[in-house]
Amino acid sequence: MAEETTTSGQLAVRIVTPDRVLVDTTADGVELPALSGYMEALYGAAPLLAELGAGEVKLHGGSSGDAKFFVAWGFVEVLPQRVTILAETAMKPSEIDPSQAQQQLADAEKDWSQAGDDAEKYEYARAEIRVAEEKIAAAKDR
Amino acid sequence: MANVLDLKRRIRSVKNTRQITKAMKMVSAAKLRRAQERAMQARPYAQMLANVLQSLVRRADLYGGDGVDVMHPLLVEREEKNVLVLVIAGDKGFAGAFNANVGKAAQRFVDGRRAKRQPTEENPSPGEQNIDIETVGRKARDLFKRKYPEAQWEHIDQEYDNGLAHHIEDVRHRKAPIEVTYDRSVLLAKLNFVEVDKAGHSIIDRYERGEIDSVYIVYNEFKSVIAQRVVVEKLLPIRKLGSPEVTVLEEMTEEQKEAAGRAAAEAGISVNETPASAQEKEAKTFGTADVDYIYDQPPQTLFRHLLPRYVTTQIYHALLESSASEQAARMTAMDAASSNASDMIDSLTLTMNRVRQAAITKEIIEIVSGAAAI
Repeated sequence: MAEETTTSGQLAVRIVTPDRVLVDTTADGVELPALSGYMEALYGAAPLLAELGAGEVKLHGGSSGDAKFFVAWGFVEVLPQRVTILAETAMKPSEIDPSQAQQQLADAEKDWSQAGDDAEKYEYARAEIRVAEEKIAAAKDR
Repeated sequence: MANVLDLKRRIRSVKNTRQITKAMKMVSAAKLRRAQERAMQARPYAQMLANVLQSLVRRADLYGGDGVDVMHPLLVEREEKNVLVLVIAGDKGFAGAFNANVGKAAQRFVDGRRAKRQPTEENPSPGEQNIDIETVGRKARDLFKRKYPEAQWEHIDQEYDNGLAHHIEDVRHRKAPIEVTYDRSVLLAKLNFVEVDKAGHSIIDRYERGEIDSVYIVYNEFKSVIAQRVVVEKLLPIRKLGSPEVTVLEEMTEEQKEAAGRAAAEAGISVNETPASAQEKEAKTFGTADVDYIYDQPPQTLFRHLLPRYVTTQIYHALLESSASEQAARMTAMDAASSNASDMIDSLTLTMNRVRQAAITKEIIEIVSGAAAI
């Protein structure tokens, strides 16, 4: 179990997507893009379940130094010694293709303007725009 | 009697065929390994998601007042008037009975559904049960498109508010009780979660709108190289989280298992079920910690957002398993084809040698009898 293997003061952090386990490491603190805004989890945090928005996960300290990851949609479980992020999409910043992200943004904006009175399409396009914008931002400051 | 030259040609051609089947077998073995790995890597996520949903169900007040009304539409059971069947097969042949088995099983399922609606004593006047078929993979599409008509939609685009707004709607005109609605073969070609998610959402949308009352998937379940079976899984409505309702339609025979085992041993693939990784074991405890969580969103909201994801994960899982099964089936089939080719080469070589020997003997007899005559 993580509780035994983790040295005190270090959080076990894991980012899991439907395809793979992207990261399995330790860190002092984790910044998370929750749906309601960014939050930071430190060692010994109170147990929490939150839905994820789109944005960057930042790991501070830890065995492999600081690291950043782009995630979108999913949710996170914070336990005192462990943070598990279940994300629909998760990428290392180096894996982001900026031109593809720009294209995604352009497509999403087009969908948004053509959504008409369809609330679902509108919502979907808005979500896509947010993902694309966050992706571009993540690619910029890598 | 064939002459030596003809036999030589035939042997050469069979040898070529054997080369090809051997190569195909090795390719499928490599693809199988990759598919197995993907299926393994997808497990932690699915497990964690199911766990969180279960713990949400336990903790949160998801059921209305007296525990009868369910809060989420995906949990509501309705009378099954319109059924959606998602059939997952492969794009290519040369995979033994893989595609045929899925097709047969799906057909039996559809026929069984229709037969069930005959009047019974408890239910003297059952309504018509309509079945929509969605296919994944070219083989499934070809099979069902030939049998059943395609669904027709009418695209309506009305302007109102003096042309300021549009009303766009696709209206379905059902002509036959069983129709093929969509072909989702694109899912197989890429097999990434984003595509599956889109397909999943379209199914969920239709379910929530009440266009369909239940959803089933027919696919090849992959346990290991020697344990595969065609199953029907009930996708919607969700009865019990984390343990889907599965009915087995077709299992491998002992003979098939033996053949598959042989092929796997030659290709160096383990026939055992892949053991659970440490991550997977830990995934089982995810979200089940015996603590009171702080919920960033109300548990009901979380639940509502997570449930569709659970359904998509289920479809994704079925696709991954089916693709692993397909590769395993192809590997076995190609192994059998290679060994058949070898047998054929042996028997042809034997015949060729006999023919050659016979020709020589005949010549000697001619010479000897010619010499004796002088």
